[in-house]
Amino acid sequence: MLKTLKLLLPALMPSWRFFDVIAPSPRIEFALLENAQEVPQHWQEFRTRPVHLSLGEMLKRLFWNPEWNESLFLVSCAERLMQYPTEHSHQEILKRIVAENARQGEGAAYVQFRLVFLHREGAEVQKDVTYISSVYRRQP
Amino acid sequence: MNFDDAVRFTEILLGLAFLQQSLEHLRGANDGRWLFLLRMVLSLLLVIGVQTPWVCVALVVLGLLMLRWFQGPYNGGSDRMSLLILCGLCLHYFVPTLRLQEAVFGYVALQLVLSYFIAGWAKIVNPEWRNGRALRDVFLFSAYPVSESVRAWAQHPRLLWVMSWAVMLFELLFPLTLATQMTLMIGLAIAACFHLANACLFGFNRFFWIWLAAYPSILWLQQRIM
Repeated sequence: MLKTLKLLLPALMPSWRFFDVIAPSPRIEFALLENAQEVPQHWQEFRTRPVHLSLGEMLKRLFWNPEWNESLFLVSCAERLMQYPTEHSHQEILKRIVAENARQGEGAAYVQFRLVFLHREGAEVQKDVTYISSVYRRQP
Repeated sequence: MNFDDAVRFTEILLGLAFLQQSLEHLRGANDGRWLFLLRMVLSLLLVIGVQTPWVCVALVVLGLLMLRWFQGPYNGGSDRMSLLILCGLCLHYFVPTLRLQEAVFGYVALQLVLSYFIAGWAKIVNPEWRNGRALRDVFLFSAYPVSESVRAWAQHPRLLWVMSWAVMLFELLFPLTLATQMTLMIGLAIAACFHLANACLFGFNRFFWIWLAAYPSILWLQQRIM
């Protein structure tokens, strides 16, 4: 009950400080592995954005944008994993990676993910790997 | 806009926004579909206007369950605004006097004004927003640009400087639009365009619909106090 109240309070008394500081921004990367001991060599970004979206496609997303909103939720999960790690945030990321790659990487029985945070140092954008998950079996 | 009409418009817009959000949850790897199916039924009842006080109570309970389910908001600020409007509507049905009902509904309107003003203030005190660097960073490396061609806007610092100041001035000056009904209508039209741009460039479609749902409250409050 107290936990629910703690989650509700920011909605009843919001801070509204959108984008006041541009914080390091997470990307989720995953690797498909053939065995649990394999060291990942090829990390792929999860859900890369399209090269271009037409105005029509942008307006269509005004009404139907489930995948993008899910990606925004995963950004929140990645940030939560760094601020106050929970199994929930970890699982939310993992289950979506597993679901979306179910048909990819035949022979790859295992999956691992990591979080990369992008931030600006002077004029350069730096990437820091801040979290690496354990290796998981894709199908039990 | 009188009080009853403002409340009714809010219910309809909120119900439609909830329907849009809930439909999106029916796809993908989401194992909490039952929450959103139930929310769709309740949202339809809210739009139609059936047993509205109890539908609002049920939607608040469902909103709390969703907060637990996702261990926080699923969609940041838009979920917070959703809950704020919903709790305001719900509470207004259960307070005993018209004055208290107006106070509760007025709180939603006040938060709408603050959502712009505080966001503008938080930006303008940051030198990186004043020199355009912050918005450039949003395009350069944040997770929000919807495509690589939108991300390439980071290569146009002068444009982004102008956009930064346009956003900050609009947000800070929004409370002044309460001066007359006409200025408020113009202010809300600009605000809607701002949310539309955010939806197109950053995919924040839920913000667009839910902020619209709060507009009847400020239209009523402006007439009530001016």
